[in-house]
Amino acid sequence: MIPNSSAARQSNRWVLPIAMALVPLSLAAAVFMGIVDVPANDVISALGGAGSEEARSIILDIRLPRIITGMLAGIQFALAGLLLQTITRNPLADPSLIGVSQGATLTVTLFLLFTVYIFTPGSHTVAELPIGWLPVAGTAGGMIAGGIIYLLAFRLELSPLRITLCGIAVGAVFHAIAIGLIAGWGSARIEIILEWLSGSLYARTWDHAVFLLPFTVAGLVMLPVIHRPLVMLQFDAAVARSFGLSYRRQFSLVLFISCVMAASAVGTVGPIIFVGLVVPHLARFLAGRHFPLVVALTVVLGAIIVTLGDLIGRLIGGAEEVPIGVVTAIIGVPVLLALLRKVP
Amino acid sequence: MPLSCSQLTVRYGHRKALDGFSLSMEKGEIRALIGPNGSGKSTALQALAGLIRPADGQAAIEGVAVASLSRRAIAKKLAFLPQQPSAPDEMTIEQLVRQGRYPHVGLFRSYNRKDEQAIEWALESTGLTSLADRTLAELSGGERQRAWISAALAQEASILLLDEPTSFLDIGYQVEVLDLVHRLSRDRGVTIVMAIHDINQAIAISDRISLLDKGDLQFDGEPTALAQSGLIEKTFRVRGKFVEVAPGKPPHFDVELTKLLR
Repeated sequence: MIPNSSAARQSNRWVLPIAMALVPLSLAAAVFMGIVDVPANDVISALGGAGSEEARSIILDIRLPRIITGMLAGIQFALAGLLLQTITRNPLADPSLIGVSQGATLTVTLFLLFTVYIFTPGSHTVAELPIGWLPVAGTAGGMIAGGIIYLLAFRLELSPLRITLCGIAVGAVFHAIAIGLIAGWGSARIEIILEWLSGSLYARTWDHAVFLLPFTVAGLVMLPVIHRPLVMLQFDAAVARSFGLSYRRQFSLVLFISCVMAASAVGTVGPIIFVGLVVPHLARFLAGRHFPLVVALTVVLGAIIVTLGDLIGRLIGGAEEVPIGVVTAIIGVPVLLALLRKVP
Repeated sequence: MPLSCSQLTVRYGHRKALDGFSLSMEKGEIRALIGPNGSGKSTALQALAGLIRPADGQAAIEGVAVASLSRRAIAKKLAFLPQQPSAPDEMTIEQLVRQGRYPHVGLFRSYNRKDEQAIEWALESTGLTSLADRTLAELSGGERQRAWISAALAQEASILLLDEPTSFLDIGYQVEVLDLVHRLSRDRGVTIVMAIHDINQAIAISDRISLLDKGDLQFDGEPTALAQSGLIEKTFRVRGKFVEVAPGKPPHFDVELTKLLR
């Protein structure tokens, strides 16, 4: 009945299986490779709970938690990026566009600034700073920023353009305040905030992975629910509503999901900006017109790219590892430019 | 009565875009909304589709107030095609047309045979079956317009509202769209309201015409009666005369191109 379609589907039939096969491969690569040279045999026995104390510590307490945290964060960034790009109909949308990153930055900054004096007066050492609470502070900040933007846009009229403009405005204000606070500030905290700002998986523990997991699961569970509305939200409001979509409700739901995903991910690993921006484009490039495939690929590629990006950062940096945020930005820019040239 | 409205008033800020508009449609009737730019044609259609909230009055589908119905319930009965709708360039015709089934399938139900048949029929009626896998970016203006009409048809609604469906189409496609509208009304009993600029096309195709001017309803009746009323010349501020083209058929408005010929 429909010519070409079978041929078109044929060509991208293998994309998802291949991408999914790459997940365990990249996971394995990230576990086996690292700055400390742990022999493959020791890695395997460490994974089984045996082996030397040192190998187990490196594999189970350092590498695995940071890799898992990274994968979860990667999935969330990529998905949040895809949702935002879809509903704002802006190919350059990502969690920083709607102010979530900036909101998280501001609360993390404020948190570090005040808690130091409240909990351990006079402290200037990193060890005594309550960094365990950073993910919670960041998540809350991102959600607050998302909420403010939503209310501003809702009062005017919930449209893609309004959300974008409000997001940029609120984001700029938060960013300016955060930078202002950082500028007038002691050195120990600056190190933490800078590391966080560059987007890093350094010293991420199982606590971080456990914190993120419910958010990732919730986001993935919601995907089938928002799938059809998501296709509709690419139309003008009048068209989508004529097709029977409760535009306002579905737009708000998708925006809420992307805010939660972005805020919790930014809170945990810092703004790894380019993942949210580039991965959806890469998925669209590989999957073409088939939207369900684009969504699935976005999830899988989000996990892979953060894992591999972090591995590269660990390997090339040596003892002073390069943060994942820097790696994805440096690799991401040329990739994005290439993709934008090819996309019609 | 499939579709009606009474005393519909729509305000944009202080301006009344539509003032006390009333309409009642018979099943299978074709109604043209005509009037100068900014006369309230689009506003009337959007209010009928429940897309804008009227300041006064109400629209009703089969006697039930549109404002009390969910978007999905409306979409099952009424399809609306706005002017120049936009969609992602990489979407294919078939994907677009499938969206027309949303009110029937909802969030989760999978597409069954009836849905697939509706999609096939919608593509076939608009002559797009062989182009179904083309992306919207690859289409000409006429093909794109037909793709949107096809998506509206896939809704299988008994009421169809079209906002200037023939604008920006060449004369060949214009006739094709009008022919499709006529077939839908006569063969399937679809009730159709469309805003249209070409007065002669409106006169030729519609059962009744509503003439709007600055939000006020100036005329509501059959095309022949409109021709005799002298309202066309007055409302559009032109000179011209109605000439008979065929016995028993509505006349043809021949406009005088004074300013061009002087």
